[in-house]
Amino acid sequence: MFPADFGYTSARSLDEALDLLAAAQADGEEAKLLAGGQSLLPMMKLRLATPQTLVDIAGLTELTGVSNGDGTTIGALTTYRALARDPLVAGRLPAMTDALAVLADPQVRARGTIGGAVAHGDPAADLPAVLLALDAQVRITARSGSRVTPLDDFLQGVFATDLAEDEIVTAITLPPGAATGSAYEKFEQPASHLPLAGVCAAVTVENEVITSAKVAVTGVAGRPFRARHSERALVSAPAAADSIAVAAASVAEGVRPLSDQHASGPFRLHLAEVLTRRALTRALARARRPL
Amino acid sequence: MAGSRDVTVEVTVNGTPHTAEVPARTLLVHFLRDRLRLTGTHVGCDTTQCGACTVAMDGVAVKSCTVLAAQASGHEITTIEGLAADDSGDGLHPIQRAFQEEHGLQCGYCTPGMVMAIRQLLADNPDPTEAEVRHGLNGNICRCTGYQNIVAAALAAAAHLREA
Repeated sequence: MFPADFGYTSARSLDEALDLLAAAQADGEEAKLLAGGQSLLPMMKLRLATPQTLVDIAGLTELTGVSNGDGTTIGALTTYRALARDPLVAGRLPAMTDALAVLADPQVRARGTIGGAVAHGDPAADLPAVLLALDAQVRITARSGSRVTPLDDFLQGVFATDLAEDEIVTAITLPPGAATGSAYEKFEQPASHLPLAGVCAAVTVENEVITSAKVAVTGVAGRPFRARHSERALVSAPAAADSIAVAAASVAEGVRPLSDQHASGPFRLHLAEVLTRRALTRALARARRPL
Repeated sequence: MAGSRDVTVEVTVNGTPHTAEVPARTLLVHFLRDRLRLTGTHVGCDTTQCGACTVAMDGVAVKSCTVLAAQASGHEITTIEGLAADDSGDGLHPIQRAFQEEHGLQCGYCTPGMVMAIRQLLADNPDPTEAEVRHGLNGNICRCTGYQNIVAAALAAAAHLREA
């Protein structure tokens, strides 16, 4: 299978990439950024995407790598493989380490990027659940300037995000202290490895009482979402199985579940509850024994 | 249409530099098979799932059906044809030899991709458990073997390579 014909340019700088996007927009052409291509190229081969222009940004090394300052900054072009091997992630962000071990497969992880995972807007992507639970922000650049937006606002629906045609996601940032006890659990569709449901939990515990709780769910609704009902039920509750069960029971409160040939809506909701229990149990255990 | 529909690809494959003009939409696997006639790399599912097209790009296993030839420009590719050392004697890499000894293939279609994926697995983890081998091969599908002898071959190759 070949993608439909397109024009290709390998950008040598972020400025050049932004200029190429702006030029395509001015000409009324659909342009797509190509980084790892692990989501975009399969869609193009199936003709689900037929951009006229591809701007290859994979060579922009300034958009790769992880750094710690006021929080953690992850360059958008950092691959899953590089992320999993980075000392600032391994051991410090356990839920991300969990997700990176079960996300797609090793070959896809060698090419796929965190920026792509966010910008693609896939309702069943693994990492957005982890990033949502860690209160990630998305850094975005256009020729007209840069902005930062919470991932929770950035994700809008099925393959829909708050990214304009002339913008590039340059980095994901995590606030300081994001490395509390956290865990990611998924139940995957075995062919695609995408989660039918995936849940990330991040908690803080003091004297056996939960003092903060974040729960995010992917694969279940039109976009990955924060389970606010569960979070409210957890804060100030004892760090015990009963609290976990109560929180898990309301994880998809008010959510209209996806339903397709792989899993019905009720099955996805069932998975979300079970996975929330598992993720919270592991996150609490990790919170008691900080890494 | 901004950008060019034809691109010049400069890529080193199995140690040999190549330069070619190809349509921008050319996938790396087709470039390897149709241009360079390196047909050891197979097209299986063509949807990034089966891993039959696995090659190493700058030493890291990737699925060549999901990389544009243009993206490989400036990089080094190793295919199954380039895996064995020149002085290997029988022309086989220890992983290939382990597949032969452990009966790790039946129809053979998935084998080049399996071998290239196992090369990466063992480069990352020279002494894997059986469970780690099975998990590490979840990007490769085999319809014949039930995986049992592929896993046995990977473990045998790991032992050979550690002794080498």
